[in-house]
Amino acid sequence: MTAAQILLATLLTPLLSAVFIACFLRRRGVLASYLSVAAAAAICAFSFLAIRGLADEGTLRASLDWLHFGDFTASMGFLFDGTSATMLTMVAFVGFLIHLFSLGYMADDKARGRFFGGLSIFMFSMLGIVLADNLIMIFVFWELVGFSSYMLIGHYLDTDEAAAASKKAFIVNRIGDLGFLVGIAYAYWHFGTTNLEALESAVSLNPGMINTAIAALLMCGFIGKSAQFPLHVWLPDAMAGPTPVSALIHAATMVAAGVYFLIRIAFLFPESVLGWIAILGTSVAVYAGFCAYGQNDIKKILAYSTLSQLGYMSAAFGLGFPGIALFHLITHAFFKALLFLGAGSIIHGCHHEQDIFKMGGIFKKMPITSITFLVGVLALCGVYGLAGFYSKDAILIAAGLQGEVLFILLTGGAFLTAGYMGRLVWIVFFGAPKSDAAAHAHESGLTMLVPLIVLGVLSVVGGWLQIWPEPLGQIIVESQHALHQDQVAYDAMHHTVLIWGSAAWIVGLIGSLFFYGLGAKQDRLETRMQPLYQFLKARLWFDEIYGFYVAKIQQRLAVMLSFLDVFLIKGVIVRGSAGLVGLVGGCTRALHVGNIHAYVYWFLAGLILLWALASSLPL
Amino acid sequence: MTIGLNDFLIVAGLLFAVGLLGVTLRQNTLVIYMSLELMLNAVNLAFVAFSRYNGTMDGNLFVFFIITVAAAEVALGLAIIVALFRRRQSVMVDQLNSLSH
Repeated sequence: MTAAQILLATLLTPLLSAVFIACFLRRRGVLASYLSVAAAAAICAFSFLAIRGLADEGTLRASLDWLHFGDFTASMGFLFDGTSATMLTMVAFVGFLIHLFSLGYMADDKARGRFFGGLSIFMFSMLGIVLADNLIMIFVFWELVGFSSYMLIGHYLDTDEAAAASKKAFIVNRIGDLGFLVGIAYAYWHFGTTNLEALESAVSLNPGMINTAIAALLMCGFIGKSAQFPLHVWLPDAMAGPTPVSALIHAATMVAAGVYFLIRIAFLFPESVLGWIAILGTSVAVYAGFCAYGQNDIKKILAYSTLSQLGYMSAAFGLGFPGIALFHLITHAFFKALLFLGAGSIIHGCHHEQDIFKMGGIFKKMPITSITFLVGVLALCGVYGLAGFYSKDAILIAAGLQGEVLFILLTGGAFLTAGYMGRLVWIVFFGAPKSDAAAHAHESGLTMLVPLIVLGVLSVVGGWLQIWPEPLGQIIVESQHALHQDQVAYDAMHHTVLIWGSAAWIVGLIGSLFFYGLGAKQDRLETRMQPLYQFLKARLWFDEIYGFYVAKIQQRLAVMLSFLDVFLIKGVIVRGSAGLVGLVGGCTRALHVGNIHAYVYWFLAGLILLWALASSLPL
Repeated sequence: MTIGLNDFLIVAGLLFAVGLLGVTLRQNTLVIYMSLELMLNAVNLAFVAFSRYNGTMDGNLFVFFIITVAAAEVALGLAIIVALFRRRQSVMVDQLNSLSH
């Protein structure tokens, strides 16, 4: 197989699996699940082949024309370089592990066919974004990702929560995508192409071509998909979906697609927009960190943690180090997938109990899950030597070299992260079980434990760039070199970050132990500082503000437009013209009496009229 | 007593009036048809009279055309009336009202 064929096979395998499941296996959940997992394994194998090909032959470009409209041609093609190879490996590998985990987690589900079909179509969409070589193709797969996430969030479609959450995710994403779409059109008008490499060469030949509006519009897509401020509201609600979905979509891949997209078009961004992205990311990182303290649902805590880490990624990007953003994206995918799957294992073991204050004592009941989960927590907190340390360290150094404000905020965010993860750990794993469900918790089966263990290992070693296979991570190394430009400043900052970063997680974890205590029955923040807790729980009232906007402003506008539609268009224009024609028809029909003599009289009258006109009588 | 143009025209006018009354008042399609022919011939008479008294051939020329067209029209019209009678068993106009709304 040529390299292009391997990539095509990678992309089409999950599509075939999804189509086959949708057509034949909807009622055969077991077969569907095996097929989907096999497809994920095949993606893994193909992607390893593709990386080997990349190492031998270098960057691969292949594209086909798709549509012609006059001068405009939309094409579908692959741009397979170090960046997309890195992302492909992560998506394929983490995706496969999550598929495997789903086998165990969804074993009792009645709609397994739909679920695994959804996972496959999601993999297809995500791989499309990863491999795409132009903005239009990215957009097509971007929307497919939105559709798959709608389908998977709404998996438990008989609960109102899941139905509302899936709609919310879909609609909020559409808002960002509108900006994305306009941005693509603007980029095409401005540059005359949407091909990524052509755009890059246009910009590098003439840096004056960089356009703030295009960058800002394309950024809208990222804000929606990566759940950045102010479109972050869908991500916590999306936890209504099954836990493997949360791991796959809302931690490891889909939200990461937004960051990946930014990295792909990094050359289009002027300084001003980058600055905004850095501020945006930092504020989300801190905001989400605070929000996590007001949550009792284990998955929602992890969701806010994801938001916060996405904030770190966009901060790194905004500081001008896309490689570091990609680095954090990859390491985050490992440990966040691990944390979500670990949470899934706990939820599964506790008979679908998600409230952390009803768990407790899980460590003794589920030792393997607990150990891997703790590894994930330490990696997330950035403990020295684990995956999260290297990427977060780099981000903090970048922020520190930039200025003090961002550095302090991001370090504060790291402290918050350690605090809320500590809260979760101390309450869930230690102390005595606080409900029957937790008391009867049991360790999960092998299909669920193997992905946890593998991800646990990756969360430890994933940050060691030296052991990554050859063509991967070039862009990360480049960004690290850029960071090392001023070696003296770097060394000084490295020490600062090492001290403050370590202090953040140590203080965070130990502080939360002293504040919340082991296996607490209720939230001490809630009992001791009720107003503060309520404030954190309210999450700055974003949902309420949007709810108010939708119910009071948008709804009224809609009612008004609906009235205009019913009254003006339907009533006056449509019914009115029909009535007028009907009236004329009724009158002329009355003349049609069917009596030949009447027609003779009409004829005579017409003749007289004609005569009168012809002789120009004054009528 | 000499017969002048006015006399011809009066006869033609009377014939036309008889035809018009027949068309408007009679119920039988055949009679209506005959009345129509009568009106055409009244016009023919007026044409011939004008032609004679003006000493030109224009009127005569028109008459030839009218006779020809009338002959063709009668052939068609009678065929239609026969076909109508075969279908409806009647040629009375008060019964031929199925085109009324």
